[in-house]
Amino acid sequence: MWLFLTRVGAMAGKETLHIRRDPLTLWLGLALPLFLLILFGFGISFDLDHIPLAVVDQDNTTESRELRQLFTAGSEFVFAGALDNPDDALDAFAKSQAHAVLTIPEGYAAALSRGENVEVGLILDAADANSAQQALARADAFAQLASAQAAQRRGLDIAGSMPVSARTWTRYNPAGRSALFLVPGVTAYVMALVSVLLTALAVSKEWEQGSMEQLFATPVRRAEIVVGKLLPYLGMGIIQVLLVLVAGTWIFGLPTNGNGLVVALGSLLFMVGMLGQGLLISIVARNQMVASLTAVMTAMLPSMLLSGFMFPVENMPLPLRTLSNMVPARYYIQVLRGTLLKDNGFAELAVPLMLLAAFATLMMVVSTVMFKRKLA
Amino acid sequence: MSAVTAAGPFRWLVQLWAVVVKEVRQTVQDKRIMALIVIAPFLQLVLLGFAIDLDVDQVPTIVVDMDRTPESRHAVAALMADGSLTAVGTAGSPSDADAALDRGDAAVVLIVPEGYARDLARGEPTQVQVLLDGTDPTRSGIAGGAAVRYFGEQGFSLAKQRLAAVAPDVQISAIDVRSRLAYNPSLSTPIYMVPGIAGMLLLIITTIVTAMGLSREREVGTLEQIRVTPLPTAVLMLGKVLPFVAVGLFDVTLALTAGVYIFDVPIRGSMLDFYIVTSLFLLTTVGVGLFLAAVSKTQQQAFVGAFLFILPAILLSGTMTPIHAMPDWMQPMTLLNPLRFYLEAIRAILLKGASLSDVPVQTAALLVYGLLILGFASLLFRKRLD
Repeated sequence: MWLFLTRVGAMAGKETLHIRRDPLTLWLGLALPLFLLILFGFGISFDLDHIPLAVVDQDNTTESRELRQLFTAGSEFVFAGALDNPDDALDAFAKSQAHAVLTIPEGYAAALSRGENVEVGLILDAADANSAQQALARADAFAQLASAQAAQRRGLDIAGSMPVSARTWTRYNPAGRSALFLVPGVTAYVMALVSVLLTALAVSKEWEQGSMEQLFATPVRRAEIVVGKLLPYLGMGIIQVLLVLVAGTWIFGLPTNGNGLVVALGSLLFMVGMLGQGLLISIVARNQMVASLTAVMTAMLPSMLLSGFMFPVENMPLPLRTLSNMVPARYYIQVLRGTLLKDNGFAELAVPLMLLAAFATLMMVVSTVMFKRKLA
Repeated sequence: MSAVTAAGPFRWLVQLWAVVVKEVRQTVQDKRIMALIVIAPFLQLVLLGFAIDLDVDQVPTIVVDMDRTPESRHAVAALMADGSLTAVGTAGSPSDADAALDRGDAAVVLIVPEGYARDLARGEPTQVQVLLDGTDPTRSGIAGGAAVRYFGEQGFSLAKQRLAAVAPDVQISAIDVRSRLAYNPSLSTPIYMVPGIAGMLLLIITTIVTAMGLSREREVGTLEQIRVTPLPTAVLMLGKVLPFVAVGLFDVTLALTAGVYIFDVPIRGSMLDFYIVTSLFLLTTVGVGLFLAAVSKTQQQAFVGAFLFILPAILLSGTMTPIHAMPDWMQPMTLLNPLRFYLEAIRAILLKGASLSDVPVQTAALLVYGLLILGFASLLFRKRLD
């Protein structure tokens, strides 16, 4: 046992030295996670925000100007200029000057004062379907509000005595911020990326340069090589998780009321699985270029796309949903969102934790067996 | 060899051809790299196109109907008929429904209060409670919006009816929004995403393949062997870069074809314009690859470097979500990003039928960035070689 530990320690020490001598690896391992957290947290937002809205005001009355102000008072739409004709909308879209055009017809104010129904036009650049869908819902809500205001102006208080209405209460993320939704996903993504990539490269480099054969000539056993090589990266991974979570709390106000033990266990299991996957890739690929591209395809992309990190799994077609069941990042994100945002404990998260443990065991066993066979 | 004996102004062409042939042979020999260049982009586009669907509908909802009257059942059924919400179960009390929200079984709890029908009949205001799981803000926003809109419309028309009963000559106007969805009437997400994914793949593949291909040659030592041949440096670099440009053009064509046939992405503009901006963008990606190959000693460094360029480039480009939704301090950073201009240009050309004259800023930016980056990288690479 003592000898085992000494040899593993020696391997780990050697690997740590490699990492320390390569500033790029260190930078990739420690600074990249923070950098990505900030880029994702601020840069990706599915919220309806600052849609440039051009207005064709054919009525040109106080009422029509009020409608325009109602649309652009919040943060959803910003006024992008006046157009003379709704037919110019497509031209404005093609030049990216506006993404929505509101047309207020002539006679708008007159119709309102007579109590007649009136239609306003909204042309949306629906190329970006997500924004268009939200803009549509928002515009309907504004129109409802404007109707109530018009009635109120004529002394008919409708808004104050609505017979039925709905009131919403939002739990877990009351301010509805994309960042809180994304930070747990970024954590999983960054760890999947960095762990798989670094191990895949570190091991395939030894094959490529022929130093793996030299290692085999030493009394260090195969399993010890594996454990020793992975240990420093595991340490780096733990630092990464801490860094990202602490930064997420400070910068984005991520709540930290969850069960720390569940987070720690989930992180550890996920990381061991990812390191195992990196090892497996390097054993199969044996070449840095192939190893790195394989890591991108099997770890980076699925962890981003099939994990529910940004894109809801429920919307995917069945084959992809099935595939997403095999992506460990999905369960890790479930654990992080569950504990950090929803204050879940072991009881609610037992299934994802068990699946993470199963993946980690599978990866370590398969890669160790493959590693041994490769040399026999 | 003919390359050496060819005379005059065509000599460099022959030499260039020789380098290109060598490079292509070397790449084709490695089947795994070929698979990554040819099959992976296609698979990825299909996978991504299906995976990225932001359309929110059928949000799982638990109904707590504390009124249990025909009126309350009708209201719930009518709200579900809209399609944004779908009932997955009922609960007897709000606290049971709360636990379901904790477990993630449902994302919305709709609570119809006791006395709902009675209050409606008496003309007393009544309020339906909607409890939302806000973990995913887009989903909760749309789900909450659907409920608020439905009951708002109900309230508005009920108020009108009551008013009409009291004072038959007073009319209340309703303002309706008549909307028109340009370019994408079915609100399909892939139509927006496919050009973004094509740009992203182009960036990833051409940058990485260029950077690693060149740094590999340096690492293995064959670059020195080539230096001994009579090839001028310019010809050598051009010959090494051209196959990667061809790879990029091939990949983007493949991605676009898949997008058109599988996801019904429209091609409204001219393909010539599309290839012109694509070529301009390739100047940048190949330039960055060359730069990385020049500054890194190993393939690992080149790869990590490519990564550090690619990730921010993708995130600051509007590939997935629009730039105008970014915070104000972040938006100017996207102006340094050639991918931003490339995506704006190809989305305008493909989806909106724009021509180059509609996107002059984007085209000019791609040209300027491309020439600057490729020029600087060539100088640096040349210096490192000599």
